[in-house]
Amino acid sequence: MTEIQLELDSDNLSKNIGLVKYVDFTSTETFIFEGGGSINGFTLRYETYGRLNDKKNNAILICHAISGDHHCAGKYTVEDRKPGWWDNMVGPGKAIDTNLFFVICSNCLGGCQGSTGPSSLDPVTGKPYRLDFPSLTIRDIVRAQNLLIEYLNLNELYCVVGGSMGGMQVLQWAIDYPDKVKRILPLASAARQSAQAIAFNEVGRCSIVQDPGWKEGNYSRGEGPSVGLSVARMMAHITYLSDKGMEIKFGRNRRKDTKGHHLTKIEFEVEGYLRYQGQAFINRFDANTYLYFSKAIDRFDLHGEAGKLEDILSKVQARALIIGFTSDWLYTPRQNREIVTALLRCGKNATYAEVDMDLGHDSFLIDAPELYNFVRSFLND
Amino acid sequence: MVTRNLNKRQIDLEIISEWVEPKSRVLDLGCGRGVLLQNLKSEKSIYGVGVDTDPIKINGCIKRGVNAYQGEIGGILKEFSDKTFDVVICSRTVQELTNPANVIFEALRVGRAVMIGFVNHGYWVNRFNMVFKGNRVINDVYPQHWYESSPENPVTINEFELFCKESQIRIQRKVYLSGDWDTKLTFLPNLLSGYALYEIAR
Repeated sequence: MTEIQLELDSDNLSKNIGLVKYVDFTSTETFIFEGGGSINGFTLRYETYGRLNDKKNNAILICHAISGDHHCAGKYTVEDRKPGWWDNMVGPGKAIDTNLFFVICSNCLGGCQGSTGPSSLDPVTGKPYRLDFPSLTIRDIVRAQNLLIEYLNLNELYCVVGGSMGGMQVLQWAIDYPDKVKRILPLASAARQSAQAIAFNEVGRCSIVQDPGWKEGNYSRGEGPSVGLSVARMMAHITYLSDKGMEIKFGRNRRKDTKGHHLTKIEFEVEGYLRYQGQAFINRFDANTYLYFSKAIDRFDLHGEAGKLEDILSKVQARALIIGFTSDWLYTPRQNREIVTALLRCGKNATYAEVDMDLGHDSFLIDAPELYNFVRSFLND
Repeated sequence: MVTRNLNKRQIDLEIISEWVEPKSRVLDLGCGRGVLLQNLKSEKSIYGVGVDTDPIKINGCIKRGVNAYQGEIGGILKEFSDKTFDVVICSRTVQELTNPANVIFEALRVGRAVMIGFVNHGYWVNRFNMVFKGNRVINDVYPQHWYESSPENPVTINEFELFCKESQIRIQRKVYLSGDWDTKLTFLPNLLSGYALYEIAR
Protein backbone atom coordinates (compact mmCIF):
# COMPACT_ATOMS: atom_id res chain seq x y z
CA MET A 1 0.00 0.00 0.00
CA THR A 2 1.36 3.41 -0.93
CA GLU A 3 1.64 6.28 1.49
CA ILE A 4 -1.16 8.20 -0.18
CA GLN A 5 -3.51 5.25 0.09
CA LEU A 6 -2.70 4.85 3.77
CA GLU A 7 -3.44 8.49 4.35
CA LEU A 8 -6.76 8.22 2.56
CA ASP A 9 -7.73 5.15 4.55
CA SER A 10 -6.88 6.71 7.89
CA ASP A 11 -8.86 9.76 6.84
CA ASN A 12 -11.86 7.58 6.15
CA LEU A 13 -11.51 5.85 9.50
CA SER A 14 -11.39 9.14 11.34
CA LYS A 15 -14.76 10.00 9.84
CA ASN A 16 -16.59 7.06 11.34
CA ILE A 17 -17.93 7.45 14.78
CA GLY A 18 -16.84 4.01 15.96
CA LEU A 19 -18.64 2.08 18.67
CA VAL A 20 -21.69 3.58 20.31
CA LYS A 21 -24.11 2.65 23.09
CA TYR A 22 -27.75 3.42 23.66
CA VAL A 23 -29.19 4.80 26.87
CA ASP A 24 -32.71 4.64 28.30
CA PHE A 25 -34.42 7.69 29.76
CA THR A 26 -37.40 6.96 31.95
CA SER A 27 -39.99 9.49 33.01
CA THR A 28 -42.06 8.39 36.01
CA GLU A 29 -44.66 11.10 35.63
CA THR A 30 -48.05 10.50 34.06
CA PHE A 31 -47.97 11.41 30.37
CA ILE A 32 -51.25 12.76 29.03
CA PHE A 33 -51.74 12.45 25.28
CA GLU A 34 -52.99 15.23 23.03
CA GLY A 35 -56.01 13.18 21.97
CA GLY A 36 -56.86 12.09 25.54
CA GLY A 37 -55.70 9.06 27.51
CA SER A 38 -52.56 8.72 29.55
CA ILE A 39 -49.80 6.34 30.56
CA ASN A 40 -47.97 6.08 33.87
CA GLY A 41 -44.53 7.18 32.77
CA PHE A 42 -42.57 6.04 29.76
CA THR A 43 -39.12 5.17 28.50
CA LEU A 44 -37.30 6.68 25.51
CA ARG A 45 -34.23 4.95 24.17
CA TYR A 46 -31.62 7.33 22.78
CA GLU A 47 -28.03 7.68 21.69
CA THR A 48 -25.67 10.65 21.87
CA TYR A 49 -22.51 11.38 19.91
CA GLY A 50 -19.93 14.13 20.35
CA ARG A 51 -19.58 16.35 23.40
CA LEU A 52 -21.75 19.04 24.89
CA ASN A 53 -19.79 22.29 25.16
CA ASP A 54 -19.55 24.37 28.33
CA LYS A 55 -22.17 26.83 27.12
CA LYS A 56 -24.50 23.91 26.39
CA ASN A 57 -25.45 25.47 23.06
CA ASN A 58 -24.16 22.91 20.57
CA ALA A 59 -26.82 20.21 20.89
CA ILE A 60 -28.49 18.87 17.75
CA LEU A 61 -31.55 16.65 18.01
CA ILE A 62 -32.19 14.17 15.21
CA CYS A 63 -35.76 12.93 14.72
CA HIS A 64 -36.26 9.65 12.91
CA ALA A 65 -38.72 8.54 10.23
CA ILE A 66 -41.49 5.92 10.55
CA SER A 67 -39.25 2.86 10.44
CA GLY A 68 -36.15 4.50 11.90
CA ASP A 69 -34.86 4.39 15.45
CA HIS A 70 -32.40 5.94 17.90
CA HIS A 71 -29.43 4.19 16.34
CA CYS A 72 -28.46 6.74 13.74
CA ALA A 73 -24.67 6.46 13.65
CA GLY A 74 -21.84 4.11 14.55
CA LYS A 75 -21.94 0.42 15.44
CA TYR A 76 -22.65 -1.43 18.67
CA THR A 77 -19.97 -4.04 18.03
CA VAL A 78 -17.25 -4.31 15.41
CA GLU A 79 -19.11 -7.35 14.04
CA ASP A 80 -22.27 -5.33 13.23
CA ARG A 81 -22.98 -5.71 9.55
CA LYS A 82 -24.36 -2.20 9.18
CA PRO A 83 -23.89 1.08 11.07
CA GLY A 84 -26.79 3.34 12.18
CA TRP A 85 -29.30 4.59 9.60
CA TRP A 86 -27.69 8.04 9.06
CA ASP A 87 -24.06 7.09 9.52
CA ASN A 88 -23.18 8.77 6.21
CA MET A 89 -24.46 12.10 7.59
CA VAL A 90 -23.42 11.98 11.25
CA GLY A 91 -19.86 11.58 12.50
CA PRO A 92 -16.53 13.30 13.03
CA GLY A 93 -15.93 15.63 10.07
CA LYS A 94 -19.23 14.63 8.43
CA ALA A 95 -22.01 17.07 7.49
CA ILE A 96 -23.45 16.82 11.00
CA ASP A 97 -20.03 17.01 12.59
CA THR A 98 -19.71 15.26 15.96
CA ASN A 99 -16.41 17.09 16.49
CA LEU A 100 -18.46 20.29 16.70
CA PHE A 101 -21.87 19.19 17.88
CA PHE A 102 -23.43 17.11 20.62
CA VAL A 103 -25.88 14.98 18.68
CA ILE A 104 -28.90 13.29 20.25
CA CYS A 105 -31.15 10.80 18.48
CA SER A 106 -34.13 9.48 20.39
CA ASN A 107 -36.53 6.70 19.56
CA CYS A 108 -40.11 8.00 19.31
CA LEU A 109 -42.78 7.49 21.92
CA GLY A 110 -45.02 4.70 20.62
CA GLY A 111 -42.02 2.96 19.08
CA CYS A 112 -40.96 -0.64 19.40
CA GLN A 113 -37.20 -0.47 19.77
CA GLY A 114 -36.74 0.26 23.43
CA SER A 115 -39.15 3.16 23.84
CA THR A 116 -42.59 2.77 25.34
CA GLY A 117 -45.18 1.79 22.78
CA PRO A 118 -48.10 -0.59 22.23
CA SER A 119 -45.91 -3.67 22.75
CA SER A 120 -44.57 -2.41 26.11
CA LEU A 121 -45.92 -3.65 29.41
CA ASP A 122 -48.44 -1.40 31.12
CA PRO A 123 -47.13 -1.17 34.71
CA VAL A 124 -50.72 -1.00 35.97
CA THR A 125 -52.00 -4.21 34.38
CA GLY A 126 -48.69 -6.01 33.88
CA LYS A 127 -49.78 -6.76 30.31
CA PRO A 128 -48.78 -5.13 27.02
CA TYR A 129 -50.78 -1.99 26.20
CA ARG A 130 -51.54 -3.18 22.69
CA LEU A 131 -54.52 -1.14 21.44
CA ASP A 132 -55.07 0.34 24.91
CA PHE A 133 -52.07 2.54 24.16
CA PRO A 134 -53.58 6.02 23.75
CA SER A 135 -53.99 7.56 20.32
CA LEU A 136 -50.66 9.13 19.32
CA THR A 137 -49.80 12.39 17.52
CA ILE A 138 -46.58 13.98 16.27
CA ARG A 139 -47.03 16.52 19.07
CA ASP A 140 -47.06 13.74 21.67
CA ILE A 141 -43.83 12.34 20.22
CA VAL A 142 -42.22 15.79 20.39
CA ARG A 143 -43.45 16.52 23.91
CA ALA A 144 -41.99 13.23 25.14
CA GLN A 145 -38.67 14.09 23.45
CA ASN A 146 -38.76 17.46 25.19
CA LEU A 147 -38.89 15.70 28.56
CA LEU A 148 -35.70 13.91 27.53
CA ILE A 149 -34.11 17.24 26.54
CA GLU A 150 -35.12 18.70 29.92
CA TYR A 151 -33.67 15.68 31.68
CA LEU A 152 -30.41 16.25 29.76
CA ASN A 153 -30.50 19.77 31.21
CA LEU A 154 -30.51 21.51 27.84
CA ASN A 155 -32.16 24.91 27.60
CA GLU A 156 -31.56 25.25 23.90
CA LEU A 157 -31.17 23.12 20.83
CA TYR A 158 -28.78 24.45 18.22
CA CYS A 159 -30.76 22.59 15.59
CA VAL A 160 -33.48 19.97 15.23
CA VAL A 161 -33.03 17.82 12.12
CA GLY A 162 -35.10 15.07 10.53
CA GLY A 163 -36.48 13.64 7.31
CA SER A 164 -40.01 12.50 6.42
CA MET A 165 -41.95 11.83 9.67
CA GLY A 166 -38.80 13.17 11.36
CA GLY A 167 -39.29 16.44 9.44
CA MET A 168 -42.82 16.71 10.80
CA GLN A 169 -41.42 16.41 14.32
CA VAL A 170 -38.86 19.09 13.48
CA LEU A 171 -41.61 21.52 12.44
CA GLN A 172 -43.64 20.68 15.56
CA TRP A 173 -40.55 21.31 17.71
CA ALA A 174 -40.15 24.81 16.25
CA ILE A 175 -43.85 25.55 16.85
CA ASP A 176 -44.20 24.11 20.37
CA TYR A 177 -40.81 25.18 21.76
CA PRO A 178 -39.93 28.37 19.85
CA ASP A 179 -37.63 29.72 22.56
CA LYS A 180 -35.63 26.54 22.79
CA VAL A 181 -35.08 25.72 19.14
CA LYS A 182 -32.57 27.94 17.30
CA ARG A 183 -32.53 26.25 13.91
CA ILE A 184 -34.62 23.65 12.12
CA LEU A 185 -33.73 21.44 9.19
CA PRO A 186 -36.62 19.32 7.93
CA LEU A 187 -35.89 17.21 4.85
CA ALA A 188 -38.33 15.52 2.44
CA SER A 189 -41.15 16.61 4.71
CA ALA A 190 -44.61 18.18 4.61
CA ALA A 191 -46.78 20.50 6.66
CA ARG A 192 -49.60 18.02 6.26
CA GLN A 193 -50.08 14.56 4.93
CA SER A 194 -51.53 14.59 1.40
CA ALA A 195 -54.55 12.51 0.37
CA GLN A 196 -52.31 10.26 -1.71
CA ALA A 197 -49.95 9.64 1.21
CA ILE A 198 -52.90 8.89 3.53
CA ALA A 199 -54.19 6.50 0.89
CA PHE A 200 -50.92 4.55 0.82
CA ASN A 201 -50.83 4.39 4.61
CA GLU A 202 -54.39 3.11 4.65
CA VAL A 203 -53.52 0.25 2.30
CA GLY A 204 -50.69 -0.64 4.67
CA ARG A 205 -52.99 -0.58 7.68
CA CYS A 206 -55.63 -2.70 5.91
CA SER A 207 -52.98 -5.20 5.01
CA ILE A 208 -51.99 -5.51 8.69
CA VAL A 209 -55.43 -5.62 10.29
CA GLN A 210 -56.81 -8.10 7.75
CA ASP A 211 -54.03 -10.57 8.49
CA PRO A 212 -55.59 -13.18 10.83
CA GLY A 213 -52.37 -13.04 12.85
CA TRP A 214 -53.22 -9.50 13.96
CA LYS A 215 -56.00 -10.78 16.31
CA GLU A 216 -57.44 -7.30 16.91
CA GLY A 217 -53.98 -6.23 18.02
CA ASN A 218 -53.74 -8.96 20.66
CA TYR A 219 -50.98 -11.07 19.12
CA SER A 220 -48.26 -12.36 21.43
CA ARG A 221 -44.64 -11.31 21.38
CA GLY A 222 -42.80 -13.06 18.58
CA GLU A 223 -46.05 -13.65 16.69
CA GLY A 224 -48.26 -11.23 14.80
CA PRO A 225 -49.49 -10.26 11.34
CA SER A 226 -46.19 -10.96 9.64
CA VAL A 227 -47.68 -11.28 6.15
CA GLY A 228 -49.73 -8.12 6.55
CA LEU A 229 -46.81 -6.16 7.97
CA SER A 230 -44.39 -7.27 5.29
CA VAL A 231 -46.85 -6.41 2.50
CA ALA A 232 -47.42 -3.00 4.13
CA ARG A 233 -43.68 -2.45 4.18
CA MET A 234 -43.23 -3.61 0.57
CA MET A 235 -45.86 -1.20 -0.61
CA ALA A 236 -44.55 1.68 1.50
CA HIS A 237 -41.08 1.00 0.19
CA ILE A 238 -42.25 1.63 -3.36
CA THR A 239 -43.42 5.09 -2.29
CA TYR A 240 -39.94 5.80 -0.89
CA LEU A 241 -38.29 5.13 -4.27
CA SER A 242 -38.97 6.50 -7.74
CA ASP A 243 -39.77 5.17 -11.17
CA LYS A 244 -36.40 6.25 -12.51
CA GLY A 245 -34.48 5.08 -9.45
CA MET A 246 -36.03 1.60 -9.70
CA GLU A 247 -35.33 1.47 -13.40
CA ILE A 248 -31.67 2.25 -12.76
CA LYS A 249 -31.32 -0.12 -9.82
CA PHE A 250 -33.32 -3.09 -11.11
CA GLY A 251 -34.65 -2.49 -14.59
CA ARG A 252 -36.22 -5.72 -15.81
CA ASN A 253 -33.33 -7.80 -14.48
CA ARG A 254 -34.31 -11.39 -13.82
CA ARG A 255 -33.12 -14.07 -11.49
CA LYS A 256 -31.59 -17.15 -13.09
CA ASP A 257 -33.76 -20.27 -13.45
CA THR A 258 -36.95 -18.34 -13.89
CA LYS A 259 -38.03 -20.24 -16.96
CA GLY A 260 -41.17 -22.30 -16.77
CA HIS A 261 -44.59 -21.46 -15.46
CA HIS A 262 -44.24 -19.94 -12.01
CA LEU A 263 -46.62 -17.42 -10.59
CA THR A 264 -45.26 -17.00 -7.08
CA LYS A 265 -41.51 -17.54 -7.33
CA ILE A 266 -39.26 -14.50 -7.48
CA GLU A 267 -38.71 -13.79 -11.16
CA PHE A 268 -37.62 -10.14 -11.32
CA GLU A 269 -34.89 -8.64 -9.16
CA VAL A 270 -37.21 -5.89 -7.97
CA GLU A 271 -39.55 -8.54 -6.55
CA GLY A 272 -36.68 -10.09 -4.62
CA TYR A 273 -35.66 -6.72 -3.28
CA LEU A 274 -39.15 -5.87 -2.03
CA ARG A 275 -39.69 -9.30 -0.46
CA TYR A 276 -36.36 -8.93 1.33
CA GLN A 277 -37.40 -5.49 2.62
CA GLY A 278 -40.71 -6.93 3.83
CA GLN A 279 -39.07 -9.89 5.59
CA ALA A 280 -36.35 -7.77 7.20
CA PHE A 281 -39.02 -5.44 8.53
CA ILE A 282 -41.11 -8.04 10.37
CA ASN A 283 -38.05 -9.13 12.30
CA ARG A 284 -37.49 -5.68 13.74
CA PHE A 285 -40.80 -3.85 13.77
CA ASP A 286 -44.03 -4.15 15.69
CA ALA A 287 -47.25 -4.10 13.64
CA ASN A 288 -49.19 -2.07 16.22
CA THR A 289 -46.47 0.57 16.34
CA TYR A 290 -46.75 0.76 12.55
CA LEU A 291 -50.48 1.43 12.87
CA TYR A 292 -49.94 4.11 15.54
CA PHE A 293 -47.11 5.86 13.70
CA SER A 294 -48.85 5.86 10.33
CA LYS A 295 -52.00 7.33 11.94
CA ALA A 296 -49.92 9.99 13.71
CA ILE A 297 -48.47 10.97 10.33
CA ASP A 298 -51.87 10.99 8.60
CA ARG A 299 -53.36 13.24 11.28
CA PHE A 300 -50.49 15.69 11.06
CA ASP A 301 -51.81 18.97 9.64
CA LEU A 302 -50.22 22.31 10.38
CA HIS A 303 -52.78 24.09 8.23
CA GLY A 304 -55.20 23.69 11.11
CA GLU A 305 -58.92 24.30 10.94
CA ALA A 306 -58.57 27.69 9.27
CA GLY A 307 -56.50 26.03 6.54
CA LYS A 308 -53.81 28.68 6.88
CA LEU A 309 -50.26 27.53 7.46
CA GLU A 310 -49.13 31.01 8.60
CA ASP A 311 -51.42 30.91 11.64
CA ILE A 312 -49.30 28.26 13.26
CA LEU A 313 -45.92 28.95 11.64
CA SER A 314 -46.00 32.52 12.96
CA LYS A 315 -44.91 31.02 16.29
CA VAL A 316 -41.61 29.81 14.84
CA GLN A 317 -38.50 31.67 15.98
CA ALA A 318 -35.89 29.29 14.60
CA ARG A 319 -34.02 29.83 11.37
CA ALA A 320 -35.14 27.21 8.89
CA LEU A 321 -33.55 25.33 6.05
CA ILE A 322 -36.08 23.15 4.28
CA ILE A 323 -34.69 20.66 1.79
CA GLY A 324 -36.84 18.98 -0.85
CA PHE A 325 -35.89 16.34 -3.39
CA THR A 326 -36.83 16.66 -7.04
CA SER A 327 -37.79 12.98 -7.44
CA ASP A 328 -39.74 12.71 -4.17
CA TRP A 329 -43.36 12.03 -5.09
CA LEU A 330 -44.47 11.14 -1.54
CA TYR A 331 -43.55 14.51 0.05
CA THR A 332 -43.14 16.50 -3.13
CA PRO A 333 -40.96 19.58 -3.68
CA ARG A 334 -44.18 21.60 -3.82
CA GLN A 335 -45.12 20.49 -0.29
CA ASN A 336 -41.65 21.36 0.99
CA ARG A 337 -41.72 24.74 -0.76
CA GLU A 338 -45.09 25.53 0.76
CA ILE A 339 -43.53 25.46 4.25
CA VAL A 340 -40.86 27.95 3.19
CA THR A 341 -43.18 30.38 1.42
CA ALA A 342 -45.51 30.40 4.45
CA LEU A 343 -42.57 31.10 6.77
CA LEU A 344 -41.39 33.90 4.47
CA ARG A 345 -44.88 35.39 4.38
CA CYS A 346 -44.64 35.54 8.19
CA GLY A 347 -41.32 37.38 7.89
CA LYS A 348 -39.35 34.41 9.26
CA ASN A 349 -35.85 33.40 8.29
CA ALA A 350 -36.27 30.45 5.97
CA THR A 351 -34.50 28.93 3.00
CA TYR A 352 -35.62 26.36 0.46
CA ALA A 353 -33.00 24.19 -1.20
CA GLU A 354 -33.67 21.31 -3.56
CA VAL A 355 -31.50 18.32 -4.31
CA ASP A 356 -31.85 16.77 -7.72
CA MET A 357 -31.50 13.02 -7.24
CA ASP A 358 -33.23 10.07 -8.84
CA LEU A 359 -33.94 8.13 -5.70
CA GLY A 360 -37.31 9.46 -4.62
CA HIS A 361 -38.36 10.13 -1.03
CA ASP A 362 -35.47 8.10 0.44
CA SER A 363 -32.95 10.45 -1.26
CA PHE A 364 -32.38 12.14 2.09
CA LEU A 365 -30.73 8.97 3.40
CA ILE A 366 -28.41 8.53 0.44
CA ASP A 367 -24.76 9.49 0.10
CA ALA A 368 -24.97 12.82 -1.78
CA PRO A 369 -22.35 15.60 -1.63
CA GLU A 370 -24.91 18.27 -2.69
CA LEU A 371 -27.02 17.41 0.33
CA TYR A 372 -24.03 17.38 2.68
CA ASN A 373 -23.01 20.83 1.39
CA PHE A 374 -26.42 22.32 2.20
CA VAL A 375 -26.48 20.76 5.67
CA ARG A 376 -22.90 21.75 6.45
CA SER A 377 -23.37 25.33 5.21
CA PHE A 378 -26.50 25.73 7.32
CA LEU A 379 -25.03 24.28 10.51
CA ASN A 380 -21.67 26.05 10.23
CA ASP A 381 -22.60 29.50 8.91
CA MET B 1 -15.50 33.39 -20.61
CA VAL B 2 -14.34 36.84 -19.44
CA THR B 3 -13.02 37.32 -15.94
CA ARG B 4 -15.63 38.95 -13.77
CA ASN B 5 -14.66 42.38 -12.58
CA LEU B 6 -15.18 42.86 -8.85
CA ASN B 7 -15.32 46.64 -9.16
CA LYS B 8 -18.04 46.36 -11.76
CA ARG B 9 -20.03 44.13 -9.41
CA GLN B 10 -19.39 46.54 -6.56
CA ILE B 11 -21.04 49.53 -8.25
CA ASP B 12 -24.44 47.79 -8.37
CA LEU B 13 -24.11 46.95 -4.71
CA GLU B 14 -23.14 50.50 -3.82
CA ILE B 15 -25.95 52.24 -5.68
CA ILE B 16 -28.63 49.78 -4.63
CA SER B 17 -27.39 49.80 -1.04
CA GLU B 18 -27.63 53.57 -1.09
CA TRP B 19 -31.20 53.47 -2.38
CA VAL B 20 -32.52 50.83 0.04
CA GLU B 21 -33.91 52.29 3.27
CA PRO B 22 -32.76 50.79 6.60
CA LYS B 23 -34.89 47.96 7.97
CA SER B 24 -36.66 47.44 4.63
CA ARG B 25 -38.09 44.13 3.51
CA VAL B 26 -36.13 43.21 0.40
CA LEU B 27 -36.73 40.52 -2.22
CA ASP B 28 -33.76 39.91 -4.53
CA LEU B 29 -34.69 38.17 -7.78
CA GLY B 30 -31.65 36.36 -9.16
CA CYS B 31 -29.77 36.79 -5.89
CA GLY B 32 -26.71 34.74 -6.85
CA ARG B 33 -24.62 33.85 -3.82
CA GLY B 34 -26.35 36.41 -1.65
CA VAL B 35 -23.57 39.02 -1.51
CA LEU B 36 -25.91 42.00 -1.96
CA LEU B 37 -28.40 40.76 0.65
CA GLN B 38 -25.66 39.95 3.14
CA ASN B 39 -24.33 43.44 2.62
CA LEU B 40 -27.76 45.03 3.09
CA LYS B 41 -28.35 42.89 6.16
CA SER B 42 -25.19 44.04 7.90
CA GLU B 43 -25.27 47.66 6.69
CA LYS B 44 -28.97 48.42 6.79
CA SER B 45 -30.49 45.70 9.01
CA ILE B 46 -32.92 44.65 6.31
CA TYR B 47 -35.05 41.50 6.18
CA GLY B 48 -34.03 39.87 2.92
CA VAL B 49 -35.06 36.96 0.75
CA GLY B 50 -33.15 35.87 -2.33
CA VAL B 51 -34.38 33.80 -5.25
CA ASP B 52 -32.22 31.73 -7.59
CA THR B 53 -32.50 28.51 -9.56
CA ASP B 54 -28.92 27.37 -9.14
CA PRO B 55 -28.32 25.11 -6.09
CA ILE B 56 -24.66 26.15 -5.91
CA LYS B 57 -25.71 29.78 -5.56
CA ILE B 58 -28.34 28.82 -2.97
CA ASN B 59 -25.58 27.09 -1.03
CA GLY B 60 -23.63 30.35 -1.13
CA CYS B 61 -26.64 32.13 0.40
CA ILE B 62 -26.95 29.49 3.12
CA LYS B 63 -23.26 29.95 3.96
CA ARG B 64 -23.82 33.70 4.29
CA GLY B 65 -26.87 33.25 6.48
CA VAL B 66 -29.06 34.84 3.80
CA ASN B 67 -32.63 33.59 3.30
CA ALA B 68 -32.99 32.07 -0.14
CA TYR B 69 -35.54 30.23 -2.21
CA GLN B 70 -34.39 27.78 -4.84
CA GLY B 71 -36.88 28.03 -7.65
CA GLU B 72 -38.34 30.02 -10.48
CA ILE B 73 -38.92 33.74 -10.03
CA GLY B 74 -42.45 33.54 -11.44
CA GLY B 75 -43.38 30.81 -8.96
CA ILE B 76 -42.28 32.60 -5.81
CA LEU B 77 -43.78 35.97 -6.78
CA LYS B 78 -47.24 34.36 -6.92
CA GLU B 79 -46.84 33.31 -3.28
CA PHE B 80 -46.73 36.86 -1.93
CA SER B 81 -49.60 39.25 -1.47
CA ASP B 82 -49.49 42.88 -2.65
CA LYS B 83 -46.73 45.06 -1.17
CA THR B 84 -45.23 42.29 0.95
CA PHE B 85 -41.81 43.83 0.29
CA ASP B 86 -40.56 47.40 0.36
CA VAL B 87 -38.12 46.71 -2.43
CA VAL B 88 -37.80 44.06 -5.12
CA ILE B 89 -34.35 43.95 -6.69
CA CYS B 90 -33.80 42.73 -10.20
CA SER B 91 -30.08 43.35 -10.69
CA ARG B 92 -28.59 41.77 -13.84
CA THR B 93 -31.52 39.38 -13.97
CA VAL B 94 -33.94 40.98 -16.42
CA GLN B 95 -31.96 39.85 -19.49
CA GLU B 96 -32.44 36.18 -18.55
CA LEU B 97 -36.21 36.24 -18.09
CA THR B 98 -38.53 34.64 -20.62
CA ASN B 99 -41.28 37.18 -20.16
CA PRO B 100 -39.72 40.24 -18.50
CA ALA B 101 -42.90 42.34 -18.55
CA ASN B 102 -44.80 39.76 -16.48
CA VAL B 103 -42.05 39.55 -13.91
CA ILE B 104 -41.72 43.33 -13.71
CA PHE B 105 -45.49 43.74 -13.25
CA GLU B 106 -45.53 41.02 -10.59
CA ALA B 107 -42.52 42.58 -8.86
CA LEU B 108 -44.34 45.94 -8.85
CA ARG B 109 -47.34 44.24 -7.27
CA VAL B 110 -45.34 42.42 -4.57
CA GLY B 111 -43.01 45.35 -3.83
CA ARG B 112 -43.53 49.05 -3.18
CA ALA B 113 -40.58 49.77 -5.46
CA VAL B 114 -38.52 47.74 -7.91
CA MET B 115 -34.82 48.31 -8.54
CA ILE B 116 -33.63 47.17 -11.94
CA GLY B 117 -30.11 47.20 -13.33
CA PHE B 118 -29.11 46.09 -16.82
CA VAL B 119 -26.49 46.35 -19.54
CA ASN B 120 -27.47 48.92 -22.16
CA HIS B 121 -27.24 47.34 -25.59
CA GLY B 122 -27.60 50.79 -27.11
CA TYR B 123 -24.13 51.70 -25.80
CA TRP B 124 -21.98 52.75 -28.78
CA VAL B 125 -19.32 50.09 -28.14
CA ASN B 126 -21.99 47.40 -28.17
CA ARG B 127 -23.45 48.86 -31.37
CA PHE B 128 -19.99 49.12 -32.92
CA ASN B 129 -19.24 45.48 -32.09
CA MET B 130 -22.46 44.38 -33.73
CA VAL B 131 -22.41 46.66 -36.78
CA PHE B 132 -18.74 46.63 -37.70
CA LYS B 133 -17.37 43.46 -36.19
CA GLY B 134 -20.60 41.47 -36.31
CA ASN B 135 -20.00 40.32 -32.73
CA ARG B 136 -22.50 40.32 -29.91
CA VAL B 137 -21.82 41.77 -26.47
CA ILE B 138 -19.46 39.99 -24.12
CA ASN B 139 -19.00 41.58 -20.69
CA ASP B 140 -19.58 40.97 -16.97
CA VAL B 141 -23.30 40.46 -17.35
CA TYR B 142 -22.99 38.52 -20.61
CA PRO B 143 -19.82 36.57 -19.88
CA GLN B 144 -20.42 33.63 -22.19
CA HIS B 145 -20.26 33.13 -25.93
CA TRP B 146 -23.54 32.42 -27.69
CA TYR B 147 -22.86 28.68 -27.79
CA GLU B 148 -22.52 28.27 -24.04
CA SER B 149 -25.18 30.68 -22.77
CA SER B 150 -28.90 30.50 -22.15
CA PRO B 151 -31.26 32.61 -24.26
CA GLU B 152 -30.70 36.25 -23.46
CA ASN B 153 -32.75 39.32 -24.03
CA PRO B 154 -30.79 42.39 -25.10
CA VAL B 155 -32.41 45.63 -23.93
CA THR B 156 -31.56 49.30 -24.40
CA ILE B 157 -32.18 52.33 -22.21
CA ASN B 158 -34.59 53.79 -24.76
CA GLU B 159 -36.57 50.57 -25.03
CA PHE B 160 -36.81 50.18 -21.25
CA GLU B 161 -37.93 53.77 -20.68
CA LEU B 162 -40.50 53.48 -23.46
CA PHE B 163 -41.80 50.30 -21.87
CA CYS B 164 -42.16 52.11 -18.53
CA LYS B 165 -44.02 54.97 -20.16
CA GLU B 166 -46.41 52.68 -22.05
CA SER B 167 -47.04 50.56 -18.96
CA GLN B 168 -47.62 53.59 -16.73
CA ILE B 169 -44.63 52.76 -14.58
CA ARG B 170 -43.09 55.67 -12.72
CA ILE B 171 -39.31 56.01 -12.82
CA GLN B 172 -38.46 57.33 -9.35
CA ARG B 173 -34.68 57.28 -9.62
CA LYS B 174 -32.18 56.41 -12.30
CA VAL B 175 -28.45 56.30 -12.78
CA TYR B 176 -26.61 55.96 -16.09
CA LEU B 177 -23.06 54.68 -15.90
CA SER B 178 -20.50 55.17 -18.61
CA GLY B 179 -18.61 52.35 -20.31
CA ASP B 180 -16.44 51.76 -17.25
CA TRP B 181 -19.67 51.13 -15.27
CA ASP B 182 -18.40 53.58 -12.70
CA THR B 183 -18.64 57.23 -13.80
CA LYS B 184 -22.17 58.60 -13.78
CA LEU B 185 -23.38 60.47 -16.85
CA THR B 186 -26.52 62.16 -18.13
CA PHE B 187 -25.73 63.12 -21.72
CA LEU B 188 -27.08 60.86 -24.50
CA PRO B 189 -27.43 57.88 -22.18
CA ASN B 190 -28.70 55.42 -24.78
CA LEU B 191 -25.56 55.96 -26.81
CA LEU B 192 -22.98 56.65 -24.13
CA SER B 193 -24.06 54.63 -21.14
CA GLY B 194 -22.89 51.04 -20.68
CA TYR B 195 -25.05 50.26 -17.68
CA ALA B 196 -28.29 51.63 -16.23
CA LEU B 197 -29.99 51.35 -12.85
CA TYR B 198 -33.59 52.34 -12.10
CA GLU B 199 -35.98 52.50 -9.23
CA ILE B 200 -39.50 52.14 -10.57
CA ALA B 201 -42.93 52.08 -8.95
CA ARG B 202 -46.60 52.22 -9.80
